[in-house]
Amino acid sequence: MYDDILVPTDGSDTAEAAVDRAVDLAAKYDATVHALYVIDVDAVNYSLGTEQVDRIRQGHLDDMPEVKQGADDATGYVADAAAAAGVPTEEHIRAGQPALAIRDAIDEIGADLVVMGSHGRSGISRALLGSVAEKVLRKTKIPVLVVDARGEE
Amino acid sequence: MNVDAVNAALLQSNELLPEALDISFKPIPAVLVIAMLALFLVVGYLFKVADTEGMWVAGRSIGNVENGMAIGANWMSAASFLGLAGLVALSGFYGLAFIIGWTAGYFVLLIFLAAQMRRFGKYTAPDFVGDRFNSDTARALGALTTILIGFVYSVGQARGMGLVGLYVFGTDYATMVLIMMAITVAYLTLSGMMGATKNMAVQYVILIVAFLAAVYVVGLTGGYSTVLPQIEYGALINDLNSEFSEPFANSSFFLWIATAFSLVFGTCGLPHVLVRFYTVENEKVARQSTVWGLFFIMILYWGAPALAAFGVDLYDASQYGPTYAAEGGMSGGEGDLIVVLAAQLSSLPTWFVGLVAAGGIAAAIATTAGLFITASSAVSHDIYTNIINPDATQREQVLVGRATIVVLGAIVSVTALDPPALVGELVALAFSLAAIVLFPMFFLGLWWENTNRQGALAGMIVGLTIWVAAVVNDLIVPFSDLYGQVFPAIGAALVGTPLVFAITIAVSKATEEPPEETKRMVRQCHSPEPMSRQESAEDVATDGGETPADD
Repeated sequence: MYDDILVPTDGSDTAEAAVDRAVDLAAKYDATVHALYVIDVDAVNYSLGTEQVDRIRQGHLDDMPEVKQGADDATGYVADAAAAAGVPTEEHIRAGQPALAIRDAIDEIGADLVVMGSHGRSGISRALLGSVAEKVLRKTKIPVLVVDARGEE
Repeated sequence: MNVDAVNAALLQSNELLPEALDISFKPIPAVLVIAMLALFLVVGYLFKVADTEGMWVAGRSIGNVENGMAIGANWMSAASFLGLAGLVALSGFYGLAFIIGWTAGYFVLLIFLAAQMRRFGKYTAPDFVGDRFNSDTARALGALTTILIGFVYSVGQARGMGLVGLYVFGTDYATMVLIMMAITVAYLTLSGMMGATKNMAVQYVILIVAFLAAVYVVGLTGGYSTVLPQIEYGALINDLNSEFSEPFANSSFFLWIATAFSLVFGTCGLPHVLVRFYTVENEKVARQSTVWGLFFIMILYWGAPALAAFGVDLYDASQYGPTYAAEGGMSGGEGDLIVVLAAQLSSLPTWFVGLVAAGGIAAAIATTAGLFITASSAVSHDIYTNIINPDATQREQVLVGRATIVVLGAIVSVTALDPPALVGELVALAFSLAAIVLFPMFFLGLWWENTNRQGALAGMIVGLTIWVAAVVNDLIVPFSDLYGQVFPAIGAALVGTPLVFAITIAVSKATEEPPEETKRMVRQCHSPEPMSRQESAEDVATDGGETPADD
């Protein structure tokens, strides 16, 4: 049924709430787990400055050890969980707008299922931050399993 | 005239509305301005960050010339485009202190800071202060100073944009300030993925074409100059009032020197200028793009006094003159708009005046965008992520950054409705702050390895206090004549910067030396070995125990 399961993560508890389900599904279907971290260009712009966006465009991520570390930690968490269950994993890092980058990753990897966490935000915080899970749902044709972090506690 | 009299005269002349300006809605200039804003968005879209995997494989580098243009656009705000000629027009010889101050600083930057900053290799200016002095308090003080600089500097830009907007769109000053600031904030929220350096190069080209067109065309139509207005305006000097041409007629020798000093060293302490050096390929590119940047800046600065002289002469001849009349005369608002006014008084077509106005808006938007992003990173990265919540996710950083920009935009707009000084003067206040608080930290931090946390904290706190007191004394609640003489707000750095240096050095000597690793980091910033791309001083200092040779 599933061969390549994509697990987008930003390293937050919300994102990690989805990891167990993804690994469980992968084990059942002998699928590969693809952990994906997207370096959010907006976050780089607002928090590190516009010049650092240039740095990413130039491919100098190695000049930004803290950013790379954050990405490696986030995908590493997924890889560790998968390894513990004996499931093969691949780690991916991309830069761009999260929802768009996830869509492109789905095409490139040929993923057939996305498992991701969501805050279940509503009201003002949803208007301000939006929901990446919601945008991914709208942008892709493959099934998306959204795990609401609040329901997992 | 003494210092107080000059300040009083400048403040009195600060009526907001430029009486001589033709205030009405003009379709062609309005289309020009809107087309220019659309162009920024298109360029940004075309050069947005492509989403690709494995970005740390080689990418295209930014060249010296392009980086130099970005430095020029980031640097030249409404203060350079409008304020500089305005200051020369209103206060004559004193205005030259601004031209010298705003360019000579690049030599200090080139010789002492650009390459060394690149070697240190961090993200923001408060990052440097926090990491170099191993202190979150120092980081917070650095961030606070960065935000204050962004605030004062942007008030000048908002005033400039509001005044220029009056010519293009009519309505009234308050409405224009609010609309222009709303556009700037909206532009910033759209520009996240935008081609930062590409857009700055475009902004530079627009503002320099607009300014040079104004200098040449006003010079030609007025019969003042032909091919080299930058020099030919000298023929006018004897005809102009002595208040324009006589040295130290409007201000004392001390104020002149103090202003120039503040601006020179303020240049080297401005966070939004220094960050450009963090991201270039290597220290050689850092040096070369400084020189290109200075050249691109000079292209405008050579022309500013000429345009000011033409403007004063045209104003004298117009129904509003003479410029330096005891009653009436050129107001602060008119001085700030002398670049646009000179074109208008030459009876040039409105589309041409509109082009000049669009250049002024491009200059203001480019710089405000840079300042707001620097302030948002000071809050989002330096204060929120580094001090308050180390586990902050990217989404939280975006939220904090956006909130900072919106709040700052609102405060700047409100302050700009009734600004306490001219565009050039407001911006100069930001420079004196940078020169007093940040420049000593950068300079000592990079050049004297024994500078420690206690010294830096003492120096920054004293520096902040001196500046705040000087601004309060000069512009808000005067409390001491003597203090105002020694620390004029614009030139507070002349006495303030050496004082902060002395305090930082004395306290550093009296307390424990910084850890060996910090010292190695400082030495690494001066290593004669060319750096490889991936290295920052911190990596080398933590990897290797050996001490590189000093340079």
